[in-house]
Amino acid sequence: MTMKFRLVWAVACGMLICSSSTFGQTDDPSPFSEAALIGDFEWIAPGTRFTVGVTLKLDEDWHSYWINPGDVGEPITLTWDLPSGFSAGPIQWPYPEKIDAGPLRSYGYSNVVTFLVTITPPNELSESPVTLSTTADWLICRDVCLFAQETVSLSLPVREAVPTPGPYFEEIAAARAKLPVQDPAWTIEASHYSNSFALRVSPPTDAAPDLQGAYFFPAQLMLLEHAVDQPMSKDGDAFVFALQQSEYATELPDRLQGVLVASEGQYFDTAQTARALDIDVQLRTEADQNTSSTLPILILFALIGGLLLNLMPCVFPVLSIKLLSLAQHNKLDSANRVWHGVAFATGVVVLFLVLAGLLFTLRAAGSQIGWGFQLQSPLFVAGMAFLFLAIGLNLFGVFDIRGFTFTGLTQSGTSHSLMRSCQDGALATLVATPCTAPFMGAALGAAVVLPTAQALAIFVALGLGMAAPYVILSTFPVLSDKLPRPGQWMETLKHVLAFPMLGTSVWLAWVFGNQAGVNGLGLLLLGLLLFAVAAWIVGRWPSVQVSSSVRIVTRGIALVSVCMGIWSAYQGAQQQSMSQTDVTSDGLWSVYSTEQVQQLSREGRPVFVDFTAAWCLTCQVNKKTTLSSSTLLSAFAQKDVVLMRADWTSRNAEITRALESHGRSGVPLYVLYRGNNDPPVLLPEVLTESIVVDALALLPNRAESLNTTNPTDT
Amino acid sequence: MKEFHASAHFIVLLLVLVSIGVNQQSSSDEAEIGEPAPVFTLPGTDGESYDLESLQGEFVVLEWLNFGCPYVERHYRTGNMPALQKEFTEKGVRWLSIVSSAPGTQGYYESDEMNEQNESMGGMQSAILLDPEGDVGKLYGAKTTPHMYIIDKEGVLIYKGGIDDQPRASYEKTKLANNYVRAALEEAMNGDEVSVAISRPYGCSVKYKK
Repeated sequence: MTMKFRLVWAVACGMLICSSSTFGQTDDPSPFSEAALIGDFEWIAPGTRFTVGVTLKLDEDWHSYWINPGDVGEPITLTWDLPSGFSAGPIQWPYPEKIDAGPLRSYGYSNVVTFLVTITPPNELSESPVTLSTTADWLICRDVCLFAQETVSLSLPVREAVPTPGPYFEEIAAARAKLPVQDPAWTIEASHYSNSFALRVSPPTDAAPDLQGAYFFPAQLMLLEHAVDQPMSKDGDAFVFALQQSEYATELPDRLQGVLVASEGQYFDTAQTARALDIDVQLRTEADQNTSSTLPILILFALIGGLLLNLMPCVFPVLSIKLLSLAQHNKLDSANRVWHGVAFATGVVVLFLVLAGLLFTLRAAGSQIGWGFQLQSPLFVAGMAFLFLAIGLNLFGVFDIRGFTFTGLTQSGTSHSLMRSCQDGALATLVATPCTAPFMGAALGAAVVLPTAQALAIFVALGLGMAAPYVILSTFPVLSDKLPRPGQWMETLKHVLAFPMLGTSVWLAWVFGNQAGVNGLGLLLLGLLLFAVAAWIVGRWPSVQVSSSVRIVTRGIALVSVCMGIWSAYQGAQQQSMSQTDVTSDGLWSVYSTEQVQQLSREGRPVFVDFTAAWCLTCQVNKKTTLSSSTLLSAFAQKDVVLMRADWTSRNAEITRALESHGRSGVPLYVLYRGNNDPPVLLPEVLTESIVVDALALLPNRAESLNTTNPTDT
Repeated sequence: MKEFHASAHFIVLLLVLVSIGVNQQSSSDEAEIGEPAPVFTLPGTDGESYDLESLQGEFVVLEWLNFGCPYVERHYRTGNMPALQKEFTEKGVRWLSIVSSAPGTQGYYESDEMNEQNESMGGMQSAILLDPEGDVGKLYGAKTTPHMYIIDKEGVLIYKGGIDDQPRASYEKTKLANNYVRAALEEAMNGDEVSVAISRPYGCSVKYKK
């Protein structure tokens, strides 16, 4: 096959009939390459396995491809035509080389490559000689790509004696030397962090190759970004390769598979023969590392987390409701109280399950969402602001529709009241969800990645934990009897408790303002005012005390008022915030980008990321206290840490993915990327200066880190 | 009435839960599924200038094209690509074939010659756009010819990847492959979620400027 003077328009025979082209043409079905079938033995012995090889000879600059061709290309396929009783094994792929073309990288072969296949003959053979035949289809590329096909065959005699090496024995042995080896003496581990993989290989004590310049060829398609560097660092004896996840990676596999190829002259074994190490290792995700603690512990955490939820700022108003209803239930006999406790717990658990179901459904639908996602929707926030205003006004006694109280105060121990206990539980849960309390973060994060049944168990535990104080108080009269008896103080308490309700409403309005800007906030406040007017009208002219005409007029005005209020808030929700909060307000902090984190990590610079949101109180507290302290900021500067803020106030797919990659589905989350291949450090939700300073102590000094990560650059 | 009021706040809660579906988009420079597709302006071989932003309100298909590539040739010669182009441009989809081959590399032609090539291949796309610098190709991360992208009426990228699931199909079997682009367009035009939004692009490498 000679090189044509022009680009040749190839045809894969049997596949295409090339009609017209401006280029020259050839009828050669395997342009710029030739195939041959060779066997290792002189003859075939019945029942004795042997090896054959399909050898491709490629013209200079032309390439054929590995099982994972990389960005472009296709691997060779072999279609066997064997006598009956013979079977052919899979292709044994020699380790490939990198083929770079501009921004693209492929994995393949040049010059000569032999693909080995094990052939198993039947135990009985009557005919001799035997002809083995295979049709090879391959893609051959230089700057252009051409299909190639050739049918090659090999005839061998059959003898009973043990076969002796044939003329191609050496050639097949040479091909076998290019197969990656499995070497149990090497310890191989792989783990996944946000959008990257770390492949860690530890040599046995007697082998000490220099893996500088070694390259990991992933066998899995669409898993790694091919045309990027694989920065390697040494951790003690171990070599750690940082691998970037492909944007085409749709799901994480259980194992990382591929071939690690040492640079020329380096070998994985002491015999100096193995340049390529076969990698097939369980892939640990960070979630695995979190969930390696067993399920009971997670459930315990979930229980404690649920318990702590009662103390979170955004649940506190609801706690007030519960306290009021407790005082109410004091009038009931103990059996009834237990039922109220059970009803409340049921409400909590059911809503936890509803939210869990919603979370799973939306996740399955591919939505990039997370815990606390409700507060990212301005409409939801507006709805909650209305709700809390209504609760506040109700507690003030501005309006008091019979049968419509949030407190359950006016109800006696009827089945409706049980229903209300259940609803109170559900309400408490709904309001509590955005507060990813300490303890709950890890449990919820694990719940997101756990199998559904286990995840549901965690949600149930969260609910039970949250309902526990109420259930305990209502079950043990001894405890609840210590609560004061109902009386005038309750009216006062009601009014006092109205303020946290209104406070919650103010907070929600602020969150809304962050999302919808000052104009949107104005519209929401107008809506709330109209809503208050409607509530006042309804309270001023109670339906039972006025004539039907007055009732119709007042209710009509109230209805119009409410509708206008809701419309106004809806318009407000359509407004877009002009400026993202937090992010641009501070020159020290830059806007989070996954790519930039990876880029900086590759350069060996540590990065601290503050995953935050305007509606997350814990985040705001940490931001205003710990993360603003001058001591800490100078500590950051000392270690040359890049500060990034990931603002999750509104939905953002990139940040959701980043949170998930750390096994979390909510904020706050504080991550310190150490600027080397060590796993990033997750810091607790309740952040103190000393915690951060301790974490920073883990970082090497700037100069050292440059030396260890980039020895060749210095 | 009492019952109604008792469950009133529950209904409010359900309503606001429904509003979870309402959300905003954040912008990004890369071609990511579910994100706004990067905008560009490129000259067409018909002498017009094409601005992706002005095509909002219509489905847009981007097809990376190189008539010298045997994969592209297979999809055109079998009538597979022209049939797909015809079917969906008739339904109002804007089909833009982008050539990112640098001058002097395979698949690069001046406008007139490109149009002649296209005619002989039976192309039925809305327009062929020339990207000799490869800027738009790199903006989208186009690796292969063909490499397909679908953008919905809101300008959001809803599919990226291969034309179908059969890189090695013969000429006869090309049309039997599971065509991801057809499936994604049909689902999106029905208002459904695209079930396969990412697949492995296959074909020849895009002949970018070195």
